[in-house]
Amino acid sequence: MTVRVTNIQHFSLHDGPGIRTTVFLKGCNLNCPWCCNPENISFEIEKYVENGLKKEFGYDISLNELEKEILKDEIYYDNGKGGVTFSGGEPLLQIENIIPLLKHLKNKGINICFETSLSINSNLVSMAIDYIDELFIDIKILENEEALNVLNLNLDLYLKNLEIINHSNIKKENITFRIPLNNEYTLNENNINQIINLLKKYPYKVQIFKTHNLAENKYRLINKKQVEIKELSDNEINEVYDKIKEITGNVEVISI
Amino acid sequence: MNIYFKKIAVPIFNKAQKSNLGRKSINIAFLTRKFIWRFNNTSTAGIYLVKNMHKIFNTNPKLNYGSQIKELLDKVNINIADDDFIFFLDEFKNLSYNNTKIENISIDYSKALNNSLHDFKEFYSQKKANKNIDFIQDQLDMLEGTELFILKIIDAIKSSNRQDKDKYISFFENIINKKATHFEEALQRILFFNQVLWQTGHLLNGLGRLDKILNDLYYEDINNNFLTKEEAFNLIKNFIKSLHSYYWYKSNALMGDTGQVIILGGKETDGTYFSNDLTYLFIEAIKELQLPDPKALLRVSKDTSRDLIELSLKTMNTGCGSPLLSNDDIVINKMIEFGYDTEDAYNYVVSACWEPSAVGKGIEQNNLNFFTFLKPLNNIFDNESEEFINSINDFDKLFETYKTYLKNEANNLIGILDGLEFNTDPILSMFIENCNANQLDISNGGAKYNHYGITTVSLANTVNSLYNIKQFVFEDKRFSLAEFNKMRKNNFIDCDDLLEQLKNNPKHFGCDDEEIISLTNEIIDSLENCFKDYRNKFGGQIKFGLSAPSYISAGEEISASFDGRKNREPFSTHISADLNKDYTELMRFASKIDYDGCKFNGNVVDLMVSPNFIKNNFEKFADYIQLSIKLGFYQMQMNVIDSKTLIEAKAHPELHTNLIVRVWGFSSYFNDLPLSYKDLLIERAIKNERNLAF
Ligand code: SF4
Repeated sequence: MTVRVTNIQHFSLHDGPGIRTTVFLKGCNLNCPWCCNPENISFEIEKYVENGLKKEFGYDISLNELEKEILKDEIYYDNGKGGVTFSGGEPLLQIENIIPLLKHLKNKGINICFETSLSINSNLVSMAIDYIDELFIDIKILENEEALNVLNLNLDLYLKNLEIINHSNIKKENITFRIPLNNEYTLNENNINQIINLLKKYPYKVQIFKTHNLAENKYRLINKKQVEIKELSDNEINEVYDKIKEITGNVEVISI
Repeated sequence: MNIYFKKIAVPIFNKAQKSNLGRKSINIAFLTRKFIWRFNNTSTAGIYLVKNMHKIFNTNPKLNYGSQIKELLDKVNINIADDDFIFFLDEFKNLSYNNTKIENISIDYSKALNNSLHDFKEFYSQKKANKNIDFIQDQLDMLEGTELFILKIIDAIKSSNRQDKDKYISFFENIINKKATHFEEALQRILFFNQVLWQTGHLLNGLGRLDKILNDLYYEDINNNFLTKEEAFNLIKNFIKSLHSYYWYKSNALMGDTGQVIILGGKETDGTYFSNDLTYLFIEAIKELQLPDPKALLRVSKDTSRDLIELSLKTMNTGCGSPLLSNDDIVINKMIEFGYDTEDAYNYVVSACWEPSAVGKGIEQNNLNFFTFLKPLNNIFDNESEEFINSINDFDKLFETYKTYLKNEANNLIGILDGLEFNTDPILSMFIENCNANQLDISNGGAKYNHYGITTVSLANTVNSLYNIKQFVFEDKRFSLAEFNKMRKNNFIDCDDLLEQLKNNPKHFGCDDEEIISLTNEIIDSLENCFKDYRNKFGGQIKFGLSAPSYISAGEEISASFDGRKNREPFSTHISADLNKDYTELMRFASKIDYDGCKFNGNVVDLMVSPNFIKNNFEKFADYIQLSIKLGFYQMQMNVIDSKTLIEAKAHPELHTNLIVRVWGFSSYFNDLPLSYKDLLIERAIKNERNLAF
């Protein structure tokens, strides 16, 4: 059994508690204009040339090899304080393939975290929930049509999946919403109000961040053009912070 | 210094020492450099030197060394500070010597605290059978000179403006006839002997385990309400400032390279971890004072407390480079395996940079020379015929050839070490164990341990070169070995793409990869095999480590290498991997290197970290250090800098006068470094930041 990854990042400090290894699984069913991992969107292996060297984004790795790579840093996970984070792309798209690995990791007491956009078949979510210790869920656009047009995100499915999560055994204090903010797509009154309503219903932790154009080089390598998005000012993001703060104390601004 | 240069320079130097004129010329040369450091201006330095030329004095080489010390101390210009500790050096007065000086060690200052000069005198005056008259005479003359020097200092204190005359007079009187009884007195006594060591020409004087040595006097004073913790903190700060004075005089290869290392903390023989108030106070003081020197080394173990790790991390994050962490869970065992007595291994200190040694027990000349791993490899490819190179048709054969060449180089080095004669040294002999009992000077093998140590450079370049050859020539068959060598000899001109590939091979030194790790271990084992049966004339062994100061200067003599390093470019630094994306992998790699046998002479993982990275992830970084200790790194240090500040400081030194950076085993003001060091630090910082921008 193999999974398709683009990168395995040890000593990852921003993707969950403790010191972690982040596995970037290749393939995503969305198409966010601000995506900073464009090489993770296509499931296909993408060839490119850098400094005269032929390279590829993406490779298949056996579960055994992946497990070995993750366990290399076992000592740094410090008995479950840190662990592994599956990111992407949309990592839950490959959940079926990695279940045997998750079982092993769970048995070894390794903390398991996923970062998801939740716009996926609910079966996949149900399959995953027994293995998840920590979860990051994106909140992007909460208006039906726009979500579909801009992101290819199915909002009904998203909300249904959120319910599944909310009723699962995943500890509520281990779930964090991540909200990318930019004036072009996510930061408008209507969307922010929707977000506030959602947060009222699901009072999880919240992290907000400015989207940026730092992935320009990667877009160039795979012959894609990055949509120009203006970075928010500190004032703008602080305003959102204040609004969210009114309904939940557990919000922070992070930089990604 | 390059070993061949050393081969030529040392005899010339020793010969020059034998004539008056020669000695004076050497002094002028040394002083010129020191004054340029001091005044940071060549013409001011020149004028100052010319004005004071008449003050230059060398002792009479015809006298025995004890008498020369007496003569020297008699001539020293006394300079009593108006307050705080008394510490002064007279840069114009020198001891004559005609052999290699024993330096780069720490004496055991507890001997100085627990004994008076009279105690030593009594010992030397005892009636003994088989008395070594020459040794005893040297010791007694030296003691007499020291006592007279103290009396002169006392006179000077009497006529000084100090408010605390009586106290300091008694401190100095006690050196002659009593052991030290208070904390402040102990600090002053350590400073006095440290001063005498510097004044008598010893370089790179370590301070030893000060928290341990001062433990009893500190707590006695505290418990008797003779001292408060705050007062102790102020005393420690003043003590550090005194050690830092004459920074320009004490610096050796580069400004900041003084060897003044304070050892703190440490594992006890019963497995517990020792630390006390003083451990914290010394680190706090270093953090607060922000001086590049003296520096601290914290001995750590898996039981080191979290708050001490956090304090150390905060201190490192100021950029001052201190403390270096040395992992007792690994180091001590390696020392015992090598042959140190258990008790001595547990009480280890380090030489000027990081070389573990038994304090006050041995000659411990741990940095006598260095070995360049890349040299034997390049010797093959620089000097052998194309036919010979083409006859190397697989990697095993190449590695066997490399080992033969490595042995030749190692033998050259052994020849140099065997030729060493050390200068008689009554002061060190007084403090170093067994010299007194054996009645034999340390320079003649009187000490308990008589090991020689060397450092090594370019291991990373060698591993990467060999691996590139293996992959590109023998596995991928992209070109023949001779063709590859042609490109290398041509300094890779017009091979830009190849150069990138050579430099950025995903498998490289620092990777936690079985092939790379076993290649690394095979190379260092080969060197170990060359040394393991060696015994010097005193029966001591050779030890080596993987960290060395000379990564820039040694690189200047070596042609381009198969790792993509161009002609004369610097080597990689210590166990660092500027190509590594993550810090855990480097630690895993470092903990899999085999430090057994004689390979324990300092093995430092050198981390480049940007200040904000630690600040924003402080807790996790402290976790990282604690867990890395458990994983088993040998030693580690951090250079906390960002490239932007360094680039700006290079362009506008006046705006960054206090910017401190870690160089090799020491820290320095960035502004005081030669351009080549500045550029290398900038380059490493940029690489590091690029890697972290994932
Ligand atoms: S969900 Fe994430 S990976 Fe997928 S397109 Fe959006 S930002 Fe990129």
